[in-house]
Amino acid sequence: MRKIQFIIAVLIGMFSVNMVQAQDDLSPERKQAIDSLALEKVRDLSKYISIIGSKTTPWSEANRVIDRADELFMAGAEIGVSSISRPEVAYYKVRQYFERLMRLNYDRVEIEWFKIEYVSDLQRQPDGTYVGVITIFQKFKGYDKEGGLVYEDTTKKDITVYVKRKETQIGGRIIGFWDVLLGDMRVKETSK
Amino acid sequence: MQMKRTNISFQRISLIMLIVVIALGGATGCKSKKKLAREQAAAEYAARVEQATRDLTAILNDDNSWSLEEKERRFATIKGWNLQDENVVNLMDQVEDKLAQERADAMRKAEEERLRREEEERLQREAAKYNSVENQFMAIAAAPDVNTANEKIDQAMRLFASPDVPVLVIISQAGGFNDYDKPTTISKYLNYLKDQKVYNNRIEQVKYDGNGKIIELELIKK
Repeated sequence: MRKIQFIIAVLIGMFSVNMVQAQDDLSPERKQAIDSLALEKVRDLSKYISIIGSKTTPWSEANRVIDRADELFMAGAEIGVSSISRPEVAYYKVRQYFERLMRLNYDRVEIEWFKIEYVSDLQRQPDGTYVGVITIFQKFKGYDKEGGLVYEDTTKKDITVYVKRKETQIGGRIIGFWDVLLGDMRVKETSK
Repeated sequence: MQMKRTNISFQRISLIMLIVVIALGGATGCKSKKKLAREQAAAEYAARVEQATRDLTAILNDDNSWSLEEKERRFATIKGWNLQDENVVNLMDQVEDKLAQERADAMRKAEEERLRREEEERLQREAAKYNSVENQFMAIAAAPDVNTANEKIDQAMRLFASPDVPVLVIISQAGGFNDYDKPTTISKYLNYLKDQKVYNNRIEQVKYDGNGKIIELELIKK
């Protein structure tokens, strides 16, 4: 009887090790899927920033979108703000940044992100988290009420992305999912 | 009397000579025909050996544009000739193996194609089954303004048991695993479609309650 229990224990152990290995050694297809997922989150953020910044977005909608955008970030993450008129970069907590963005003193704002790509691929860390850096270029344009362009700049920013496998229970079954969270968004360069 | 005897002898000798000539001549003619027939048969055999060698080599080296059926027909014809040429027999053995392999490959390909078609049809049936839900999602994503999008969201929400119905999005199915994006709720998902203005998933699975309302939605990235 003890022998059988021992064999079962060994088999369960082997199965668990295989499962853990299956999670650790990601196939190229799975790795590609989480790479794309992280990029998609950054693109989602791009759209949210554009909605929050737009003066035509209703107040309630902007606040709802701020909540969605805020959920994309890790707690305590900061976003850098630069200007071509001053050399230093100011850093704000994510929510504070969005609220400032919503209240910008322009009559019309256009924010467009482009060239969204990895500068550092997702790399597995010892705790199982995948960490990478995605760079974006942000084109900002602020107009006055006459429709004149008052300010414009292009900023290159680096966003650290953290991807970790987690589990949750839905409808009585365990779902393994990839939680993508964005870290600090650092200003790298600003130009007109 | 002497003269009459001489005449009879001469006639007999002539008759015998005639018989001998006919007999000798006939035998010689018969012999020539057989030889000709043998030569014709040999030439025909040589031509078949040559033809068989050419066709079999072409099949072996894939140096032809024949279909598998055509190759099999040519092989059957050559086999029917029952040639005893050692080289041809050797080529036939090799070609028989090659054609068997090609037949097996063709059958495997046909089976794969059948399965692919079945899977395609299944996906189309599945897609058609969820068309009404998919159409509502696409309408939200394509709404021209916030108010229209919100109206579409209200309409779509009627299909669901509550705003908190879980929505799972499969991002990868490789290696026997389903990898998901972080689960969300239908309320957040419909607003996501409104914000991002794009629906690039398809419905994989839907669970309903007793009232026909959706209680769980599983999507997969296209």
